[in-house]
Amino acid sequence: MSNEKITITVNGKRYDKEVEPRRLLSDFIRDDLRLTGTHVGCEHGVCGSCTVLMNGKSVRSCLTFAVMADGAEIMTIEGLGTAENMHPLQKGFWEKHGLQCGFCTPGMLMTAVELLKEKPRPSVDEIREALSGNLCRCTGYQTIVESIQRGAEIMQGGK
Amino acid sequence: MAQNRGHIPKSRQREKPREGLKYIGKSMKRVEDPRILTGRGIYADDINLPDMAHVAIVRSSHAHARIKRIDTSKAEKLPGVLAVLTGAQAAELTGPLPTWSSPPVFQRVIAHEKVRHVGEAVAAVCAESRYIAEDACDLIEVEYEPLPIVVDPEEALKSRGDAVLHPDHGDTNLILESKFDFGPVAEDFARADHVVKRRLRWPRSGGTPMETNGATAVWDPGSQRFTIHANTSMYNFVGWMIADTLKVPHHKLNIVPTLAGGSFGAKLFLYKQPVMAAMFAKLVGRPVKYLEDRLDASLNNDAHASDRVYYVELACKKDGTLLSFKQRIIDDYGAYFQYGVGQHGNALAQVVGAYAINSVGVHVQAVLTNKNQQGAYRGFGSEVANFVIERLVDAAADELKLDRIEIRRKNFIKKDQFPFLIPTGNMYDSGDYEKVLDETLKLLDYKGWKKKVEEMRKAGRYVGIGIASTQERSVFSSTEFWMWNLDGKIGWTSSPDSMSLKIDPRGRIYGTLHSPFWGNSPETVATQVIAEQFQVDPSNIEITYSDSDKGLHSTGPGGSRFTVMVTGAIVGAAAILKKKIFKIAAHMMEANADDLELRDGNVVVKGAPGKKVSLQDLAFHAYYMRLSMPDPEDPELTSGLDATYVYDHPVTTLPDPKREHMGIFYPIMGHMCHSMVVEVDPETGQFKFLDYACVHDSGVMINPMTLEGHMRGGVVNGIGSAASEQYFYDKNGQPTNNLFTDYIIPSISESPADMKCGHVETPSPFTEYGIKGGGEGGRMGTPPALAQAIEDALSPFGIKITELPLTQNVIRRLVREAQAKKAAD
Amino acid sequence: MKPAPFRYVRARSVDDAVAALARDPEAKLLAGGQSLIAMMNVRAVKPETLVDINALSALDYIKVKDGGIAIGAMTRHETVKSSPLVAEHCPLLAEAYHWIAHRAVRNRGTYGGNLCHADPASENPAVALVTGATMVLKSAKGERTVAADDFFKGVYQTAARHDELLIEVRIPSRPKGQGWGFMEVSPRKGDFAMTAVVCTLELAGATVKTARVAYAGIADRAMRFAPVEAALTGKPANEATFAAAGAAARKAINPSSDFHADEAMRRDLAETLTRRVLAAAKARCT
Ligand SMILES: Cc1cc2nc3c(=O)[nH]c(=O)nc-3n(C[C@H](O)[C@H](O)[C@H](O)COP(=O)(O)OP(=O)(O)OC[C@H]3O[C@@H](n4cnc5c(N)ncnc54)[C@H](O)[C@@H]3O)c2cc1C
Ligand code: FES
Ligand code: FES
Repeated sequence: MSNEKITITVNGKRYDKEVEPRRLLSDFIRDDLRLTGTHVGCEHGVCGSCTVLMNGKSVRSCLTFAVMADGAEIMTIEGLGTAENMHPLQKGFWEKHGLQCGFCTPGMLMTAVELLKEKPRPSVDEIREALSGNLCRCTGYQTIVESIQRGAEIMQGGK
Repeated sequence: MAQNRGHIPKSRQREKPREGLKYIGKSMKRVEDPRILTGRGIYADDINLPDMAHVAIVRSSHAHARIKRIDTSKAEKLPGVLAVLTGAQAAELTGPLPTWSSPPVFQRVIAHEKVRHVGEAVAAVCAESRYIAEDACDLIEVEYEPLPIVVDPEEALKSRGDAVLHPDHGDTNLILESKFDFGPVAEDFARADHVVKRRLRWPRSGGTPMETNGATAVWDPGSQRFTIHANTSMYNFVGWMIADTLKVPHHKLNIVPTLAGGSFGAKLFLYKQPVMAAMFAKLVGRPVKYLEDRLDASLNNDAHASDRVYYVELACKKDGTLLSFKQRIIDDYGAYFQYGVGQHGNALAQVVGAYAINSVGVHVQAVLTNKNQQGAYRGFGSEVANFVIERLVDAAADELKLDRIEIRRKNFIKKDQFPFLIPTGNMYDSGDYEKVLDETLKLLDYKGWKKKVEEMRKAGRYVGIGIASTQERSVFSSTEFWMWNLDGKIGWTSSPDSMSLKIDPRGRIYGTLHSPFWGNSPETVATQVIAEQFQVDPSNIEITYSDSDKGLHSTGPGGSRFTVMVTGAIVGAAAILKKKIFKIAAHMMEANADDLELRDGNVVVKGAPGKKVSLQDLAFHAYYMRLSMPDPEDPELTSGLDATYVYDHPVTTLPDPKREHMGIFYPIMGHMCHSMVVEVDPETGQFKFLDYACVHDSGVMINPMTLEGHMRGGVVNGIGSAASEQYFYDKNGQPTNNLFTDYIIPSISESPADMKCGHVETPSPFTEYGIKGGGEGGRMGTPPALAQAIEDALSPFGIKITELPLTQNVIRRLVREAQAKKAAD
Repeated sequence: MKPAPFRYVRARSVDDAVAALARDPEAKLLAGGQSLIAMMNVRAVKPETLVDINALSALDYIKVKDGGIAIGAMTRHETVKSSPLVAEHCPLLAEAYHWIAHRAVRNRGTYGGNLCHADPASENPAVALVTGATMVLKSAKGERTVAADDFFKGVYQTAARHDELLIEVRIPSRPKGQGWGFMEVSPRKGDFAMTAVVCTLELAGATVKTARVAYAGIADRAMRFAPVEAALTGKPANEATFAAAGAAARKAINPSSDFHADEAMRRDLAETLTRRVLAAAKARCT
């Protein structure tokens, strides 16, 4: 069961690595690249914590083998913004208390990035639909919806 | 004869609740968030150490069996495997896991001789990677000799012989039985006009945080010490117990907390994961991580929650006056008994709900069955008490033909009756239940909804309103865990929390917490209180966490105690520091220390705002100018500016030796009224929220935004417990829904889109600033309100709700049965 | 929860893929992985070889063909869901997608993989039954077509042989005037169905000309039941007829019980949803 050579660009940085075919993209990102911002909550596709963007689209990194991402561009929460220079969505989550323990948050944020790309001013229903596959045990979700609305507002140049 | 309910100690409150606070009461953005939001928070699985190895366990496929033979030879030969351990081998390396039950029911990190539930570890592998460890687990062969399986808690009462899980505790699975009469129960029942009787069933759910429990252990052969990184709480309270299990002297263990991705009780105190990781770390001489995967977390985590059958009777007068309350409870603890019946102590803290009920009879039968063990979950057993009392009050209203709201009003403990000792001896410190109810009705627009519901019903829709007035005991005292033990021995009575404060030479303030982050906002809370105490801008404050080496006595979060306790500790430490600060400032400004106060980062002379010294200059002085102090010999003026304070529980008393009452053990009493409007589809069993409003009183709020966050999240936990979540075992003891595919945590689609939250602030007379804990009220009150709402919506069918969770399947069954009964009549 | 090791083969073309299948009797196709990898993570399956067909972009299409639409097997769920062609020619399929999984899963999961996975509680197989879809299967030996009615065989079982790759699904366009309906009860939105009922309905005046009704979640596979459709054909298109069809469904099915729904629940749901879904379909017969 030989290893495969893969080339993956993560947050703009190119990585050439050898991986076992069975290595999950989530483990590749977290353990091989040490980008531990992507969280793993269930490893069977239900919780959404592990959501990353692959070629701009949200995917479950726990339901993707790293080999399947060969040649792809991946974006994780580390690629969004920094503490000094937060992405509008991160600001939105901070202001509207869109997180408590923060474990689901990377998945929520990446899902929201995809949503805002398609719908810069999403309605509450559209946000709820987009988040339907991301479980949060802490917030009760409503403040996450408000956070995304706020992020959208900031992105549109709102104060 | 009046019942002996105990006595109320004097308040130790120093900071009175008051207007004009600058930082307390503000919805400050959380200081925890920037690192978490940018993916830089370090959770249990984010610990990556050089050369780290990984553990996976072989989970028992049998619910109850003798382990006849284990063959690990193939696993041991697999390349990449470092070590394999069976229960027998692990029992040589480690002792029993920590326990609070008395007498103890021993549990081991790997099952030895017998397995007692599906999922229990029967062997474990340490390997180069988790992948290889799991490959090796697949190669381990276990031969079992099946034993009789006990699943139903009432059947468990009758178990004998091989069906007994722990024969060393006698030929029974009834592990503990206690009976108490608090007050004149028989007399009160004798004077009742009416007695409401019910059998109620509360199902086994679990906190089930998104992050599982995990630990990474390092053994240093030089210093002969373990260092364990884990997402655990209570590491500064009882962390040393792990050293006992690991058979090392207590000072040879350091526990370092990581961030926790939620706990809700599930991470109250980790023992299995730290012991597993440490055992292997020493064995293989490398850092070792054991992180539960989702299957371990649902099958072997010791954190399932209350699983109870209640037989209850409520004695009332015709006019709706509630007199007395009797309950027999059979509680299914699963295969072990780590916390004893702490969960029932908890329930007794608020067993009479918000009502002035005169007496209570309690009969608890704790049984062991072939299931994962019970632990803690947001409410720790008293969410069940809320469900039970509220269901009974609803039932009383129905049977006496009274309004469900009016019967509550009539029996509420009135706001001038506090502090109030309930029959069990626990104290309710303060409250205003009518006001909370009124605010809730306003927030929901109860009158408006009443009218709308009438109209919708005429149009053939099944719409109902639910309202529950529920208690939220906060700030437990450790007496909760042992007061049931009738062996006469006095147990622990301390449950403090601590704070270390340091002001550096440049005036920046460092706060060290001795309890971890577990999804709440400890850094924000501490920052706000410190800012208030020293009147400095929060940007000058840094909060960190101690490990157990440097830790002070701290119980940690849980039972909604963190905010109250850490505030107490900060106030205590700040008082020591401020005394020194004022002494030095008085010297520097040639003023009287009594005339000084802190304002905007300066020490100022009251009434003379121009006269000041900055905290920065003062700190510099304190650090480096020992000889220019007023009295260089003054022991209070040693160089530097630091203080620690251990804050004991604000108000707790001993149980009565004859157990006529339990003493005060959970007295900081919050209150939350939940109201909702739901529409039910009786043909499919589905329901949806048309509205949700709740009002919370947890005393003075430190941060309304984060408090409201707890309300909202708690409500959705409550919806899960009430409507969809259950760790279900079939008759063979096989769990049927151990993955998230089938253990139904509410998603956004099942949660109210627009939950209205309100606040009432009735200060506690016992805590600093009048704060109460507020972390659990959300979950603790939703279930009875939802049950009432669905019952109301389905009132045309005459359905009575006595069980949870109200899944589509259950709601549909209730309707079907009602229809069949109607057809038969 | 990590998958067992496997040999990995990256197919570059359809021929490549079928050749790999022909070569290795233990090989399994890996499409979006949204069911397969989840099952591998819990080690419910441990395939020895995976043939990754994600590079087969030639199978990612939706086009109009022979009075219907043809969907390439590797078309992602989300593409099908948002396709204007699908909305126009097979609005029932578009509607069913409101119930299927979540965005991130749909971004990866494929339409073909979903049908081949043949989960008994999955929506798409039921839709395939009532729309009269045809599966195009290809192996090293050649191509063949199988009608949806003959395709689903049992839990995770289809008529596709081990060496066959599903390459295309053909769905006839909705005849003018045909109504459709989709209804489902699941524990949570986006979960697999406890019970789902799907139908198409054509009227001749006030009478039912043809009706096709299929069920998911009530047996080992998606199924149609002759008595249900017989209770409709030639009958007046009214509540009473729809109720009779519902009653027929209750009798015809033979569901089992699980934690989410017992047998009685599934019978109740089959009856209620049949009645309702037909009424919804009738309203769309324009
Ligand atoms: C959280 C979650 C929710 C979900 N909810 C739903 C839902 O509500 N309804 C629903 O229907 N599904 C649901 N799914 C499953 C999802 O639809 C899967 O995408 C789908 O079942 C499989 O498609 P895939 O491309 O991912 O196939 P894979 O997982 O890669 O493969 C599935 C099976 O099909 C075989 N296969 C794949 N492609 C072909 C082909 N072209 N020819 C022959 N065999 C092939 C594979 O060998 C494998 O046995 C859910 C999944 C998740 C994780
Ligand atoms: S970890 Fe990937 S969805 Fe839960
Ligand atoms: S913030 Fe904790 S799970 Fe969402």
